[in-house]
Amino acid sequence: MNTLPDPTETQPQAQVPRPTPDPKRFEASRRVLLTDAFMNGFIKVGGIFVVVAVIGIFVFIVSQVLPMFQSARVEVEGGGVVSEVLPEGDYVAIAVDEWGERPLALHRNGRFFYSDLTDAGVVREAEFTFLENDDDISAVAAVPGSGVFAVGTVGGGIHLLDYAYEPVFHEGERSIEGNLTEAYRGEAGGPVRVLGFGQSESARLVAVLADTDDGPHLRVTLVERKRSLVGAGKWTESAVIDLTDSLRDGVAVRSLHVSNRTDAVLVVFENGEVDYHFRSGSETSFSLRQTFRPFSDLDDPSIAASGFLFGDVSMVFVSSSGANRVFSLYRTEEEPVRLFHRTKNFEALPEAAGFLAKSLRNKAFLTGSGDHVSLRHATTEKVRWEGDLPFQVRHALVGSKYDSLLFFSDERRFHRLPLRDPHPEVSFRALFGKVWYEGSPEPKYEWQSTGGSDDFEPKLSLVPLIFGTFKGTFYALLFALPIALFGAIYTSEFLHPRNKVYVKPVMEIMASLPSVVLGFLAALWLAPILENRFPSLLCIVFLLPAGSFLIGWLWSRQPQAIRKHVPPGREFLYFTPLLLLLLVVGWHLGPLLEQVLFRVKDSASGEWVGDFTRWWPAVTGTAYEQRNSLVVGFVMGFAVIPIIFTISEDALSNVP
Amino acid sequence: MSFFHSSQSKSDGTAPGEPMVWFSGMWLAIGLLMIVTLLTVIVKNGLTLFWPSKIVRIELVEGSAAAIQGASSFAGEVRKRQDKSIRDAEGHAIPELQFFVGNRDAYGFGFRYVDQADIAARTYPENFLVAERLEYGDLLGYPVALKLADGTVAVDAPDFRERLRALVDEGNQRRHEIERIEKGEIGAINRKMEALKLSLRKAELGDTLTDAFRASVEEETAALQAEYEVLAKEASSLRAEQKVARFVYRLDTGAERETAIGNLIHFYYPNEMGFFGRVGHFLAEIWNFLSEDPREANTEGGVFPAIFGTFVMTLLMSLVVVPFGVVAAIYLREYSKQGPLVRAVRIAVNNLAGVPSIVFGVFGLGFFVYFVGGGIDSLFYPERLPTPTFGTGGILWAALTLALMTVPVVIVSTEEALAAVSRGAREASLAAGASKWQTIQHIVLPASVPGVITGLVLSMARGAGEVAPLMLVGVVKLAPTLALDAQAPFVHLERKFMHLGFHIYDLGFQSPDSEAAKPMVFATTLLLIALVVVLNATAILLRERLRRKYASSAF
Repeated sequence: MNTLPDPTETQPQAQVPRPTPDPKRFEASRRVLLTDAFMNGFIKVGGIFVVVAVIGIFVFIVSQVLPMFQSARVEVEGGGVVSEVLPEGDYVAIAVDEWGERPLALHRNGRFFYSDLTDAGVVREAEFTFLENDDDISAVAAVPGSGVFAVGTVGGGIHLLDYAYEPVFHEGERSIEGNLTEAYRGEAGGPVRVLGFGQSESARLVAVLADTDDGPHLRVTLVERKRSLVGAGKWTESAVIDLTDSLRDGVAVRSLHVSNRTDAVLVVFENGEVDYHFRSGSETSFSLRQTFRPFSDLDDPSIAASGFLFGDVSMVFVSSSGANRVFSLYRTEEEPVRLFHRTKNFEALPEAAGFLAKSLRNKAFLTGSGDHVSLRHATTEKVRWEGDLPFQVRHALVGSKYDSLLFFSDERRFHRLPLRDPHPEVSFRALFGKVWYEGSPEPKYEWQSTGGSDDFEPKLSLVPLIFGTFKGTFYALLFALPIALFGAIYTSEFLHPRNKVYVKPVMEIMASLPSVVLGFLAALWLAPILENRFPSLLCIVFLLPAGSFLIGWLWSRQPQAIRKHVPPGREFLYFTPLLLLLLVVGWHLGPLLEQVLFRVKDSASGEWVGDFTRWWPAVTGTAYEQRNSLVVGFVMGFAVIPIIFTISEDALSNVP
Repeated sequence: MSFFHSSQSKSDGTAPGEPMVWFSGMWLAIGLLMIVTLLTVIVKNGLTLFWPSKIVRIELVEGSAAAIQGASSFAGEVRKRQDKSIRDAEGHAIPELQFFVGNRDAYGFGFRYVDQADIAARTYPENFLVAERLEYGDLLGYPVALKLADGTVAVDAPDFRERLRALVDEGNQRRHEIERIEKGEIGAINRKMEALKLSLRKAELGDTLTDAFRASVEEETAALQAEYEVLAKEASSLRAEQKVARFVYRLDTGAERETAIGNLIHFYYPNEMGFFGRVGHFLAEIWNFLSEDPREANTEGGVFPAIFGTFVMTLLMSLVVVPFGVVAAIYLREYSKQGPLVRAVRIAVNNLAGVPSIVFGVFGLGFFVYFVGGGIDSLFYPERLPTPTFGTGGILWAALTLALMTVPVVIVSTEEALAAVSRGAREASLAAGASKWQTIQHIVLPASVPGVITGLVLSMARGAGEVAPLMLVGVVKLAPTLALDAQAPFVHLERKFMHLGFHIYDLGFQSPDSEAAKPMVFATTLLLIALVVVLNATAILLRERLRRKYASSAF
């Protein structure tokens, strides 16, 4: 009823006097206008919001990625957090806690001074002495992060001093307290010239070069402790290994390095030669594995500074002219043992390095001389930061969280500079180029983002990932393209319209299969079925197209009286039983083909047997995986077919 | 392309294009066959989990490697027939059978492979019982006796089965009672205590902590503690009761074992069931699968929490995606000036639909979880930190992430529908004096509802089937609590949830015993596929209707 027009309006106008038009009849009510204005605004704001949100995703992701490519930032302004001046004298080593709050300096006379950087840098002396009779320190090895000072004295003493920091909570306030103890004391037999130190969980190695009455002596002392249920035992000397024979006449030793695996002692000579002594397992003898000269090609091959990188697989060397190289241990095909080879060559420093400190988080190291400082990362072979400081550097340390740099200046002050470098291991080349990783005999593309140990070097090449993605896509397309394209051609050109109504939705349903279902079926259902049946698959791939062509050709030779039994547009239905037959035939032909084509010699019986899963590794040298590219392609095809099918079917159908 | 045209035939009666027709027809047939095979595999494997198959007793030949604990026979259910991966000396395949033998507590495994040649005889044992229990998977054995507090009932007692059934029912009731006490009442007390602790911490953070307040909190906590002890005692006495009645059974290998009846969930005699008995059991099992909580690292029991999680998440996603998608589509189609900018935006939106879903997961984790969620936590829940409330994956973030992922679907299909509304209808409305919004509200939108619904259904289907992004933003293997429940405030958007897709992934790839989990994975897959296919079929039908409408309006 209400759909009919109002009868009063349809009456002839002449009969009823026309009412005076309401002057406001063309005005919309305020409410309508307001609603309209509100909705217009709302939709504009809402629409723009959604559009901005959509674009915001890209912006957000880019904003998250960009910091990866930033170089390190060090705030030099103002010299960072500065301590008070330490007492007069020569300081031989420094150490700092994990939080960078309480740096510690060791005076030549054996006294320790620490500063509280959270409290205006007040300097106090630690109540700890270990030297007697005005003895002085002549050599020291302070391995950062290990909590040990290894000290050699003029009087011929060897001391291992443990320092430990721990946070103490007092009324909600946290403070760091240090603790010093002497873990081991030994004799060198004369004034100590050079000293090297390294330690693992249960063993410590101290390499000492001392001047004795019958010339210089190089000895390595092994200090060990047993772990028991009660806890760690005491450190006791278990062996002294003499390496004096390896010293050269008239060539002084510049430095000694002991790896923290306690399996290597490196002797660096003044003439630029390096001896690499190796000890395997718990043996108490060293063998000279290698002698090399890192800068043999330079005019001045002498080494100014050297040291292990975090992980103790690589050594950093800086020559007297400032050249900077990294040598890593790796095995080559000719050499069955791991030797040092040059892997990295850095930009040269302006002059010989005065200090060298490694990071305890990654493969970065800090080097430089005077007031010039350079922070470098070994994996990427990049200078992360380089600059001049407002003071002369005596000692330097990289904060153990890689968030600060600690310096001890010539004016006897500690300076802590904040460091911001969240992604030192990322560079364009690390992501897309070949990188020479530690332990590898050549530069390569590799992806391995996590590892078992702390000193693991992340390998971040995206190339294998990109390649794998393309490989998967390629196999998927190889499989999906013929099905989707020819299926679409058949559907749009030949298929009977009545069949089209259900063929298309069925193909489209394929698109809705959740990817996890496809993955699960591929891995747990399809892969085991296809595992031993690759030859069958080959047969099927060959049989199907050939069979269909043959059938089509034979069919087309038949007289029309027979042909009319299969209505045009229904061929695919009649083909299905044939298809199944071909599948079965192909499936069972596979093993036969295998016997003929994929013969491999059985190592046990010496007979030739047909077995593709063994033929493949024998011929290609790669392992045959159950979940292989074939399965990936097959299943990814499911995901790709409906898209190609729908689009090409639409395109074909739109041709007038 | 000329060889595709088969219609013209030569005078000799042959059809030159025919092979090509057959050739392309074959590919279509392959495509269709693939889908049909896939669905058949899923349906068949998914449903066999529920169908009670007969238990076979296998007599092994002398010295067979398949013997269990030295016995010459065992009883089990045939699960699979296949060829061994190795061949015999002449290169012939060796057929083998996979049996489900259950009794993981006694055997240490649940499945046994037997070479066809090793089987000497097969019988179907009478009076053989299969029971589902709380631990160690199914029990398969011959009942022997019931050990009750007041004596034993031997298996030849006339009312043995009734007694057993009554005891199992009783045990189930008691278990529900224990669950109610432990999860419901004790859970409520725990929450109250947690709230008290948080209020104390909040007062501490806000510097409004007074001694009086602290004392009152401590007093309340003590009262709750007392209440808790009463309930805990009640629960433990019920637990003790569960262990009183015991069921004695004999394995086919001969060993006699017993178990507390409180451990049994239900039992049946598979070899004595008629067809209708089997159908009844089948339907009951399906119902249990749909309505129960999972047990034993999800490999047993049901998937109710996963269904519920999928449902709530999809619902939340729809609530977000529809208004935003529709508003954006109306803006793009009706308000913005059609120029290169809008075209660029449209391309961006379409491309968004092609971005891999894991990228949205990463975005959701970075933006929603860490940025927005972390912000909410530090603003509104500082007393709970460092335990995150919203700053960790949750159903809200999952729904928002998927909404973002599927909003292009809604935008595109809504736009398509808006474009289908004829210009004439719009102009007539405007000419009749309707404002722009009135035209949209009364003319354009009603006409494009099918398009909106198509988009919604498609996005729901995509959301329900997605797993990868969810793993980053809040889906878990086992969520103890649901996102909607009877505790105030009833809707818990910060909670983690379970999801059917993730359930499949977890069972199929993360389960320690993937063979035991397989039937469960297939059943879950069947459920998910059914859900997604139904949603998609709806969308396809709706779209066909819309297309027809569109086609007619073009003239």
